[in-house]
Amino acid sequence: MDSIGLIREFLQDRLGAEPEKVVSEAPLDSLGVDSLMMLELMFEFEDRFGITLSKDLKSPQTVGEMAALMDRLRSEQS
Amino acid sequence: MSQRRVAITGLGLISPYGGDLPDFFARLLAGESAVRFLRTEDIPRPLTIPFVSCPGFDADAVLGRPLAGTMDRFAQLGTAAAFDAWQDASFERGQIPGRDDWGVAWGTALGGQLAYEKGYRELWQKGRERVSPLSVILGMNNAANAHISIQLGLGGVSMSHTVACASSAIAIGEAFRRVRSGEAPVMLTGGSDAPQAYGVCRAWEALRVMASGDENTSPSACRPFSADRTGLVLAEGAAALVLEDWEHAVARGARIHGEMVGYGTSCDHSHLVRPEAAGQVRALNAALADGGLSPDEIDYVNAHGTATAEGDPVEVAALKAVFGERAGRLAVSATKSMHGHQLGATGAIEAIVTILALREQAIPPTAHLDNLDPACAGVDHVGSARRGQPLRAALSNSFAFGGSNAVLAFRAPA
Repeated sequence: MDSIGLIREFLQDRLGAEPEKVVSEAPLDSLGVDSLMMLELMFEFEDRFGITLSKDLKSPQTVGEMAALMDRLRSEQS
Repeated sequence: MSQRRVAITGLGLISPYGGDLPDFFARLLAGESAVRFLRTEDIPRPLTIPFVSCPGFDADAVLGRPLAGTMDRFAQLGTAAAFDAWQDASFERGQIPGRDDWGVAWGTALGGQLAYEKGYRELWQKGRERVSPLSVILGMNNAANAHISIQLGLGGVSMSHTVACASSAIAIGEAFRRVRSGEAPVMLTGGSDAPQAYGVCRAWEALRVMASGDENTSPSACRPFSADRTGLVLAEGAAALVLEDWEHAVARGARIHGEMVGYGTSCDHSHLVRPEAAGQVRALNAALADGGLSPDEIDYVNAHGTATAEGDPVEVAALKAVFGERAGRLAVSATKSMHGHQLGATGAIEAIVTILALREQAIPPTAHLDNLDPACAGVDHVGSARRGQPLRAALSNSFAFGGSNAVLAFRAPA
């Protein structure tokens, strides 16, 4: 599964978000992702992709930013 | 500030029978037990205990998946009960102006133990190095009252009370004081607990106070005041009440279920688990005095009555000490025989039973009471539903481990 797919799956499960609305340019907060849910999402990425996110990681603002960040970390840490 | 009268304008409860509040009370009057045999899949040894659950409760359906996902089951049950009570009081949910002095007082003995236990399993059973980032907010004892304050839009005090089996009785009492003093015109109060965490059940088992039972005998496993009682039955559950300044309630045309008039507390200050009649007497007398009630005005007592060997006779002794010669005519029942022991929520559930008894002028029984322990004799044990006897005022007892006692006093609706 790619990063956007994981975000779509997570937000559908937790918020009932329609997958077609989880697009690259969509701001995460407009989809209902608050600071707590951002922690959950990061945890999910660490779990599913076997990556480690540093504690001072700056929170991404959009779905695309998050996907790109996770893809980069996945590539760096593989 | 002059003392206000306190109206009960909202009641909500997650019923172990799966229905609504009238159905819950009707089942109690019918003497129907909600206790069932629970067998889990746990290893190395499954739980095999009599237990009371809320099988019809679907948190996602009631609260919505996004909200339910940020709660442990005790907070889900509690918030759902609070929603029911709020709706019953004809209040709207949400951010409505003018509610900065409306508050929440909630009781829970265990808080989010299921969330913590899930984390322990991840760490020690599955060998993982970390737990969910929501573990703290799921597990914290004030999660239920925090969610309730947010969802109902209440800007006043939001507090949780953890006093073992008296948790929600004390929460109700503290809420009552705030309304009576004029500090808060409206308080949402009650309690919730979900004790089915494996480690929690094992801990209660180790105390040797749990009733025994199997598939066939579990429904009658909890036998308060009976000579053959074997202990308490753990239960999950939640109940909520809206306490409101009487004039505030009348001014908005609210339906008033009854009046809360008194609250008495005490500590045995003698032993962690062995109750003492003298301490309970102090709480009973304090509640009567606080409510301006004489013992002669009390027509019903909903007993703490857990069906433990030590607790039941001590409670009866305390009632006899307070009510004297009249004790033999004092109607007493222990409804835990049917709905089980919800630990920190049980005081709120029994407060609602007591309020409904006064409102409906009907006393639910102590179920399975066909072999009274002589050590528990001396009060008028209600062994089957009783109607037709005028009920003016009633008490609800909650006596906790630690020796903390709480008694709530109610009057029938005017």
